[in-house]
Amino acid sequence: MQEMRPLTVWERMLAIDRRWLYLTLFVSIIVFLLLPVRLPAVISPPVRKFYDAIERLQPGDIVMVSSNWSASTIAENQPQLEAVLRHLMRKKVRFTLMSVEAQSRDISLRLANRLAKEFGYEYGKDWVHFGFYTDLIVAIKGMTNDLPATVKQDVKGTPASQLEVLKGVKSLKDYKMVIDVTPSSTVPYWISYRPKNLIVLYCPTSVMAAEAYTFLDSGQIEGMITGAKGAQEYEQLLGIVGLGTRFINGIQFSHVLIILTILLGNLALFMQRLSREA
Amino acid sequence: MEWLQQFLPFSWDRLSVWMGVICTLAIYSILYRENPFYRFFEHLYIGLAAGYSLGPLLVDIIHKYWIDPLLHGEWPWVFVVPFGLYLYFIYSERYGWLSRIIIGILIGASAGLFFQEFASRYLPQLNSTLSKPLWLTSANPNLVISNVINNWIFIVFLLAVLTYFTFSFEHRGPVKRVATAGRWFLMIGLGAMFGNTVMARMALLIGRIYYLLSDWLGISIGGG
Amino acid sequence: MWQIDTTTLSGKVSMALIVLGAFVLAFGLIPVLQTLPPRGRRALIAVVTFLVGAFFAAEFFMPLTQDDKNYLTPGIQPAQNALQIIGSLALGLGTYGLVRLHLRNVVQKRGQWGYSVVLLIAFVTMATFSIWNTLAEKRILARTPLLDRGFSLLFDYTLIQLDAAMFSIIAFYIYSAAYRAFRIRSIEASILMFTAMVVMIGIVPLGAYMSEQLFGLPREVPPNAHPFSLEAILYSLRLPEIADWILKQLNAPVQRAIEFGVGIGGLAMAIRLWLSLERGIT
Repeated sequence: MQEMRPLTVWERMLAIDRRWLYLTLFVSIIVFLLLPVRLPAVISPPVRKFYDAIERLQPGDIVMVSSNWSASTIAENQPQLEAVLRHLMRKKVRFTLMSVEAQSRDISLRLANRLAKEFGYEYGKDWVHFGFYTDLIVAIKGMTNDLPATVKQDVKGTPASQLEVLKGVKSLKDYKMVIDVTPSSTVPYWISYRPKNLIVLYCPTSVMAAEAYTFLDSGQIEGMITGAKGAQEYEQLLGIVGLGTRFINGIQFSHVLIILTILLGNLALFMQRLSREA
Repeated sequence: MEWLQQFLPFSWDRLSVWMGVICTLAIYSILYRENPFYRFFEHLYIGLAAGYSLGPLLVDIIHKYWIDPLLHGEWPWVFVVPFGLYLYFIYSERYGWLSRIIIGILIGASAGLFFQEFASRYLPQLNSTLSKPLWLTSANPNLVISNVINNWIFIVFLLAVLTYFTFSFEHRGPVKRVATAGRWFLMIGLGAMFGNTVMARMALLIGRIYYLLSDWLGISIGGG
Repeated sequence: MWQIDTTTLSGKVSMALIVLGAFVLAFGLIPVLQTLPPRGRRALIAVVTFLVGAFFAAEFFMPLTQDDKNYLTPGIQPAQNALQIIGSLALGLGTYGLVRLHLRNVVQKRGQWGYSVVLLIAFVTMATFSIWNTLAEKRILARTPLLDRGFSLLFDYTLIQLDAAMFSIIAFYIYSAAYRAFRIRSIEASILMFTAMVVMIGIVPLGAYMSEQLFGLPREVPPNAHPFSLEAILYSLRLPEIADWILKQLNAPVQRAIEFGVGIGGLAMAIRLWLSLERGIT
């Protein structure tokens, strides 16, 4: 009977139970979050352009915020939406919210309610939520044509014609910009079907960000906040500490962990091959 | 003792937080191994998610766009829902074809709308590509050599990747070399996407752990 | 002609009869439609698809008049409203399918049918509270403490937490895959990994910190510095600048090439779907 040779250290490393890896990640994230390290963000050009676009707004301008995320991406989209709404309210800009994702309807409504109380924003007069829509494309086309007839009423059942925030608004052409906070590919629809004068600002999850650089290059999107990391940059521009700032240690050190892990896995495989050949 | 009283679920708010923590840890139990605890919460999640969607669907859409107009006497709308219900024949072998009439409406709409999307989404990108200046000129005094170099890199990368994706003819000779380069350049784009994807997924986990540390354990996390 | 006065009793009765009549018509038409031969059925579906698509295509291509509208633009509104309704029925189809499947599990006592009971109870409870909450928001039904507490517990503290937890699990799998599966074996894999690593570190504050502290690169470049001065060149070698350059100058053309391919393919597919040339749809 052949004797089983003992595993080399590299083979043991490669055969490690994945549950130890899960535990390592979990504990590492806890440590990273608790690290008393504060590194200032480097403001990336897309975030700077996003900020500058909102800074150019005047009090009384009206903005559409399309909030299409659910709790599955809450860690990335919530910091973005909070930072953006705070900025809009600081600028005393009117805004209207809408959702094409069912959960986002209530999530964004509750979030906006909470922040509105902080800034003294009055529902109906300074901001409203139009509710949920199943089809974004026809909703955009409808709102470009006749916004009150498309929207009909807000989430509280108030007819659009009676909403003070929509005074003087006939269609999307009267809006200054649309801010799309989304984990899915909805921004191409805003780009494609909006009135030409409407500026598009984009708040994607990090997964969708790389694809959007072509829109940034062509000017179809004016600015972009990428995930929680982008939210940290935006919070720094606003001078506040929000969720993006609280998450950033976890994000940046987990990147280092991932890189080291990839290198370690490849090293183990390489050394195992070498030792086998030897 | 006071801390313990505040920590334990003796108030509605604390009970709610504990509920959230139990949900999180129940889902994470699958990482150890398959177990009935996870299965129970998984099915609870699916049931809640499916049930929740009925509120916005029925009230924000059906009530707003169908019931309300009917209550106000706009009778032509009456036909939309009865005929729209043909969709539910999709489960019937005999009457399943009726659902394809309504699916045809949805497909026809998105197909018809695509022409506008093509014009508004892709043509401006083509315009942007073709208007990139590729040499210094007195007509554009703000242009510097680094912009020109970057524009050339942009065009070369774009053409190489487009060549790689052209499958109408066999890649041979210089075309094959360009397509190979296009594949390498494609890896740069995919690498950027991968880096961002890792960041996104890590952020989701970080959000959950933050909830456990901050909302449940009451640990203050200042941030970077 | 298109409006009935529903403030009067006769108006209300007329409307109720019209609603009933519409349902009778829709379901009464089914035996008639069933008599169509298969070719006739395909033709009907193709005609419906074509007409709907033609409306939207024509509305886009028709010349605009003074106020950015054309002859067909007023039709966008009713089309929008109808499509929202049909879209919601389509979304409801998924829910219907799910409930149907799990009801069948329970009735036929298939394997692990107990979990199906959990799902159905959660579904009914959440649906009740969700519809009640949405109607209460519109002031059609009353808002009560039971609604507030129940909806909050089910939505904020259960559904949201479960949803967030479910998707956060992917991070663990990515980490495990990073160790066990991501192998740098070819030139392509090396390029992909190197780019990913530079981007991952460059886009976070740690990248700037490492560039300044480890590599001694400048934090900023003087405003009047020449683009090819030493400070400017050293500044451009910082990880955040390299990451930004990769994303803007290398990643963007790649994504644009993919966009062009998808766009042309999408246009071809749209025409095929519009003309019902795609098998399996009609």
